[in-house]
Amino acid sequence: MDTEAKLVNKEIVYEMKNLSAWFGKNQVLKNVSLKIYRNKITAIMGPSGCGKTTLLRCFNRLNDYTESFRVEGDIFFNGQNIYQMDPVQLRRRVGMVFQRPNPFPMSIFDNVAYGPRIHGLAKKRGLSERVEKALKAAALWDEVHGELRKSAYKLSGGQQQRLCIARAVAVEPEVILLDEPTSALDPIATERIEKLLEDLSSRYTIVIVTHSIGQALRISDYLGFMYKGELVEFGETSQVSEDPRHELTQLFLTGRIG
Amino acid sequence: MADRIASSLLKLLTYIVFVISTAVILFPVFKGIRYFNPTFFTEFPSQGMTQGGIFPAIVGSLLLMSLVAVFSVPVGVLIGVFLSEYAKPTWLSALLRTTITTMTSIPSIVYGLFGLAFFCITMGFGTSLLSASFTLSIMTVPFVGGSVSNFLMAVSNDLREAAMAIGADKRETVFMVIRAAKTGILSSTLLGLGRAFGETAPILVTGAVFYATNLPRRLTDPIMTLPTHIYAVVTNFPEDAYWMAYGSAALMVIIIVAIYSIVQWIRRRSS
Repeated sequence: MDTEAKLVNKEIVYEMKNLSAWFGKNQVLKNVSLKIYRNKITAIMGPSGCGKTTLLRCFNRLNDYTESFRVEGDIFFNGQNIYQMDPVQLRRRVGMVFQRPNPFPMSIFDNVAYGPRIHGLAKKRGLSERVEKALKAAALWDEVHGELRKSAYKLSGGQQQRLCIARAVAVEPEVILLDEPTSALDPIATERIEKLLEDLSSRYTIVIVTHSIGQALRISDYLGFMYKGELVEFGETSQVSEDPRHELTQLFLTGRIG
Repeated sequence: MADRIASSLLKLLTYIVFVISTAVILFPVFKGIRYFNPTFFTEFPSQGMTQGGIFPAIVGSLLLMSLVAVFSVPVGVLIGVFLSEYAKPTWLSALLRTTITTMTSIPSIVYGLFGLAFFCITMGFGTSLLSASFTLSIMTVPFVGGSVSNFLMAVSNDLREAAMAIGADKRETVFMVIRAAKTGILSSTLLGLGRAFGETAPILVTGAVFYATNLPRRLTDPIMTLPTHIYAVVTNFPEDAYWMAYGSAALMVIIIVAIYSIVQWIRRRSS
């Protein structure tokens, strides 16, 4: 029984227990509990302002630097309470990709090399290999390998977003968090990123926030639906989409709210 | 119709302002540039400012600006970084910010008076290069600090979060923000030094002499500078010495225009 429990736990990367969060007096998360499974894609969907981005940013404690932010409840990362961890150490193991592409004001190479450099992960030689590997993983290598010294700002929006994915992948995190990563992109760039995420999920645990139902259904293994700060529904994507337990989920999936 | 009248009126006003400011820039240049020759740049003034050149004033201004740059740029940039990246939004930091804004609009002669009382007399530096450069630095620091903090605050939070999200600590994140604002920081410091370069009153009372027979050898020696030289010529000498003031003014305008052009070039290149 004991060993079986441990075995199951190895499949759980994150466990969130009764999490509530506030910005000032405004409660944005209400008693949320969920589990994130290893090497799976978990999508959190919901209408604008439902708290899904705040939820995502709890996983790497990126809300914490906001003065008015307050949180109650626990989040365990591989069994360890993240509020007892050094946030810098936590974020080294948990990458993040944002809604708007936000490359650093540096060359393409330096963008990807930044993480490994500040964490002392690779010497000069290993660094180039690591950058190449990350750019390949983000399906960007073929487009940029001849111009790695070029400023990242010269890339298109879709390329910049894949660069941001490469930048996150370069430190070889366990988890990649994505906050509506395709909302600023055109349909072709969106399709590329979705395909890429499916490839990456064999090696990384992926949590993606999206307000696109289609995207959530296409790529996720687990699906959560948030509404007004509550996690209304959470389960395997097939179950949630075919047989949602909650009426609100049904309404959202059919486009009647959201 | 009303729109068209308003827009032509604004256009006209813009042209008028443009013509006036161009005239202000070009007048001393046209009037003074004809005196430019090797003697003008390399010799001391002689025969009651009617002969010779402005060599000691050029050297004095150069020395002064170098010291001001050394004293005020690092401090100004550090204050800017502190205000933008470290100061919590408390009443104290709001007060600090207001103070800095106020300090940039205090008349420069007040700084001069402070410099005279504190550096020349209390600290015992006398009328000297050192007193003048400290006084000008105190004037320049708030300008550079305020301007740098504005450029840093204009950097999108997206970038700070991108750095934090990859595990950058506070210092590394701040360096990333500085990197993103580096052209703004550079132009702030150039503009701050450009302002200081043209200041007359504070140097007049803390470090300048109208005529020096030697270049300064020590920090505690007094200096001649370009702006105070112009002042000296037009207030203390007859009209046949005025050419020297026009020549000096032309040189100053050219230097200032050069500094602003560099700033523009830096900004354009980065965007």
